[in-house]
Amino acid sequence: MRDLTVRHRRVTALRGVTADLPCGRAIAICGPNGAGKSTLLRALLGWHPLASGEIRIGDAHPRHALPRLAYLPQRQAIDWDFPLTVRGVVALGRYPALGLFRRFSATDHTRITEALAELDLTALADRPLRTLSGGQQQRVFLARALAQGADIFLLDEPFSGLDLRATGELVRIIRSWVARGRTVIAVVHDLALVRRHFDYALLLDTDLVSCGPPVDALTDDFIRRAYHLPSESDEALQSLRTVDFPL
Amino acid sequence: MSPADFLLEPFRHDFMQRALVTSALLGLVGGLLGPLLVLRRMALMGDALSHSLLPGIALAWLLCGPSPTALLIGALLAGLLTALGGAVVSRLTVVKEDAAFGALFLVFFAVGIALLSRLPTRFNLTHFLFGNILGVTTSDLHLVIAIALGTVIALYVFRRPLLLETFDPGFLRATGGPGRFIHAGFLVLVVLNLVAGLQTMGVVLVLGLFLLPAVIARLWCDRIAALLAVSSALALAGSVAGIVLSYHAGLPSGPAIVLCLGAALAVSLLLAPGPGLIPRTWARLRPAGRVRHTPD
Repeated sequence: MRDLTVRHRRVTALRGVTADLPCGRAIAICGPNGAGKSTLLRALLGWHPLASGEIRIGDAHPRHALPRLAYLPQRQAIDWDFPLTVRGVVALGRYPALGLFRRFSATDHTRITEALAELDLTALADRPLRTLSGGQQQRVFLARALAQGADIFLLDEPFSGLDLRATGELVRIIRSWVARGRTVIAVVHDLALVRRHFDYALLLDTDLVSCGPPVDALTDDFIRRAYHLPSESDEALQSLRTVDFPL
Repeated sequence: MSPADFLLEPFRHDFMQRALVTSALLGLVGGLLGPLLVLRRMALMGDALSHSLLPGIALAWLLCGPSPTALLIGALLAGLLTALGGAVVSRLTVVKEDAAFGALFLVFFAVGIALLSRLPTRFNLTHFLFGNILGVTTSDLHLVIAIALGTVIALYVFRRPLLLETFDPGFLRATGGPGRFIHAGFLVLVVLNLVAGLQTMGVVLVLGLFLLPAVIARLWCDRIAALLAVSSALALAGSVAGIVLSYHAGLPSGPAIVLCLGAALAVSLLLAPGPGLIPRTWARLRPAGRVRHTPD
């Protein structure tokens, strides 16, 4: 990612962001609301025309790397009453590879079954989507991303609205994916969670404030700068730094 | 008159046979589009679209007379103009898309009524508004067949991107799918089928043939394939029952069809397992009874 600038009409959402994201790691994108976190994810997907700069995934332009990417939308973007079963949603993950006409092959079915099994959804496979809990719904979408056959996962605020148990579960899933060499790039608000469970952090405030391993990227100075906190009051900083999940 | 006579007698007439085929086809296809409209939360937008077809029809009639092709093109242009106008207004101003559509369709509808009431013919305004099954000519029938066939083919070919775009548009885009094309294409299909249904249903009620079967089916079905099949079958049954009712009761065909589907909706609201009023009341009463009868 080099000198990346994205503008929505006249508003600049990202300015001159240059960073090198490591493969096979859990990467968190952090920053205040409106800092361009989601914009960065969508830029990686090639949704936003870049005002300047370029993105390379491996050696490829994002458009050519699409099959390697799986995107998880924010939870509120989904109609959870939609008349699909768990297996039905995971099967959607195969559609891009199948195109308009190709039939589901045995390989496709195996991939779906494996994705369901890996996320512990086999028992729920025939349940309608709306009967699931928030954490289970999240897992269904992770399973769909797996069934796609991607190895880079872009998650937009995956932790929002999850309770403690579901949060712990998601952390466990992300860690096990990284252990298998997959890359996870997630928008995360909870900096304590990032410190504890992510390998790499990007702190954004339209400009790139810092990036690197969380110890280096999420120092008090950088956080103050990104969130525009006055240097004399430490209370707000403390609350950003120490809220922690007893996982 | 025996029940069989009651059902078959109307179809001794040529015009009723044409009406039967027309409304059966409209039902089959409208019943497929309806659930997609509902799931895409476009139900009211569809209604707005159907009303906005009127000025297009009126202008075509004024310029070219009662030619089905001219009426189709006029209606199509009016529908697309509304769809486009609504999108543009909501994009450029703070007005949301539903409000923009609401405002535009009222203006279009008023223009249509004004134009039609100036028509120098003895043509009856209610035929345009509520449908006139007697008026289905052979060329109308051909048009309906062509649109129905085209719609079914388009829905089959694009079933996967359409389902993705309906459920999770972000996913379709993220995988390089043609999201905007699918949305625009779906709108065109809806407008085409609204136009096809005008003769039978009229502009005011035509959406009933799409919407009611979909809503009824949604009460009974929890899977998309079942939803489409049940909705389509319901729309087919409802439109055939409706034209029989229209023949015997001397009603315009549009209201007759909507009344038949409305009856099915009422029954479903009472009986459907899960959401239905009776199963729900039953479920609420039963556990209480069980607790009372538990020993110790």
